[in-house]
Amino acid sequence: MGVIGNWFKERLPVSGVELAELTNEPVPNHMRRWWWCLGGTPAYLFVVQIVTGILLAMYYQPAPETAFESVERITNEVNFGWYIRSVHKWAATLMIAAVVLHQMRVYFTAAYRKPREINWMIGMCLLLCTLLLGFTGYSLVFEQLSYWGVTVASNICDTVPVVGGTIKQMLLGGESYNENTISRFFILHAAVLPTLMVMLIALHIAILRLQGISELQFEDEPEEGPKHFDFFPDHLYTELIVGLVLMILLSTLATLYPAGIGTHADPLTTPEHIKPEWFFYPSFLWLKWFPGTVAVLSSGFIVFVMFIWPFIDAMIVKATKYKDFYVWVGIAGVLMLVGMTLWEALH
Amino acid sequence: MTSEAEKAESCPVDGNRSDGKDRRSFIARFSSLWMGLGLVSGYGYFASIILRFLYPSRQTNAKDKSWQFVTDLGSIKQGDSLTFISPAGEKAVITRMNMKGDASDFIALSSVCPHLGCQVHWEANKNRYFCPCHGGAFDPSGKATAGPPKAAGQSLPRFTLKVENNLLYIRAKTKSLV
Repeated sequence: MGVIGNWFKERLPVSGVELAELTNEPVPNHMRRWWWCLGGTPAYLFVVQIVTGILLAMYYQPAPETAFESVERITNEVNFGWYIRSVHKWAATLMIAAVVLHQMRVYFTAAYRKPREINWMIGMCLLLCTLLLGFTGYSLVFEQLSYWGVTVASNICDTVPVVGGTIKQMLLGGESYNENTISRFFILHAAVLPTLMVMLIALHIAILRLQGISELQFEDEPEEGPKHFDFFPDHLYTELIVGLVLMILLSTLATLYPAGIGTHADPLTTPEHIKPEWFFYPSFLWLKWFPGTVAVLSSGFIVFVMFIWPFIDAMIVKATKYKDFYVWVGIAGVLMLVGMTLWEALH
Repeated sequence: MTSEAEKAESCPVDGNRSDGKDRRSFIARFSSLWMGLGLVSGYGYFASIILRFLYPSRQTNAKDKSWQFVTDLGSIKQGDSLTFISPAGEKAVITRMNMKGDASDFIALSSVCPHLGCQVHWEANKNRYFCPCHGGAFDPSGKATAGPPKAAGQSLPRFTLKVENNLLYIRAKTKSLV
């Protein structure tokens, strides 16, 4: 063992102890609480998505003639195909929910404030990537929702002044849905967006490590005593247990509510009742309320405000000396999002 | 030449030395600038090739329009409508409004919603075309009566029709790739 150890040590001059010391960042005490794991949860679910996504790509065939049939085959014929596909679908749902909850937690604890503005903006990019992954994911099935979702989304791009038409053509590989479209969406879903996501997650965690986690003092915590605990092994164990619980949850959901499959895409008929996935309900409702260009530009403006919110918040605090204005903005935003989602779900 | 003079020649005075320093830093800056320009233009050109590669080279769906035969005038009565699907997959609903015997008798509406491109369908009980995507509604002449198309003042696109030798023709795209 010693010989092998030395052989490796000569070629990889990295000491395990030094590496542990370097990466073993002190974790604030508030993160002992079980529900304080919303940053790690989407990261874990992203790994689940990569594993199940690679497996699904072994059978999936991204072409209009074959996509739907290959998904049917995965669901009905491939061994445990239904399970892998259902876990992929449920992990996507939970990942989006976890990302949104994580962002809410960061927002309401004002953890985006100086010096963490850049990490908030990287987090916003991660939120958009997650939503785009969700959208490109369900467009691959080539069921009715896939086809009409892509048609609507490409026409949404088209409403953007000046560059909209070009974006639409680049996205579809033509003027409307054609034989190039589904392979473009597949490449976006399975290669471009995940690569971007890995890089953004690495940057997100690197900045988090450099700055340290924003610390909270709960009322029931003692004033004295250590304020931190070790990442290795304490926090790692917590994350492993969270991962295990998530896997059990995913398996249960996949078994009880397996991913179904709709009817084959029909370019000549939009079904009587059509709705996007739940995470797009607010934008769906927004598009019903306002004419095309107004809806698209106002949505873009809202996303832009979210991006630069740390700076807007800093200006508000400086101008008014009132530190909690963001809480009211946040409550209004959350109520609106939840209200719009529920409204659309119940109608 | 004395050794003093040699020294003076080989070792310039302070002012000259600083000129040399400036010159060196200028050359360094200049060459960095050229290096940067080279990199930007080289990789920029590569990026433009990528973008042009991604941009569809031929307009796959934008095929030429041509006149296509629909039906003979005798087979469609006033108030009747029929659905025409062009080879390119365009769907038009053609309704006969009058019996004068020319193209003005007919109205041919696209079934593509001008809002975000979904297919509208006819709701006979409400005497309207309805788009299920975002709730747009249109009267029988194609004018928007509800939903986002009404707010934006949009109508269902119309097809051009002509009558020749008692036969009805529509101008529509010719090839489907879906």
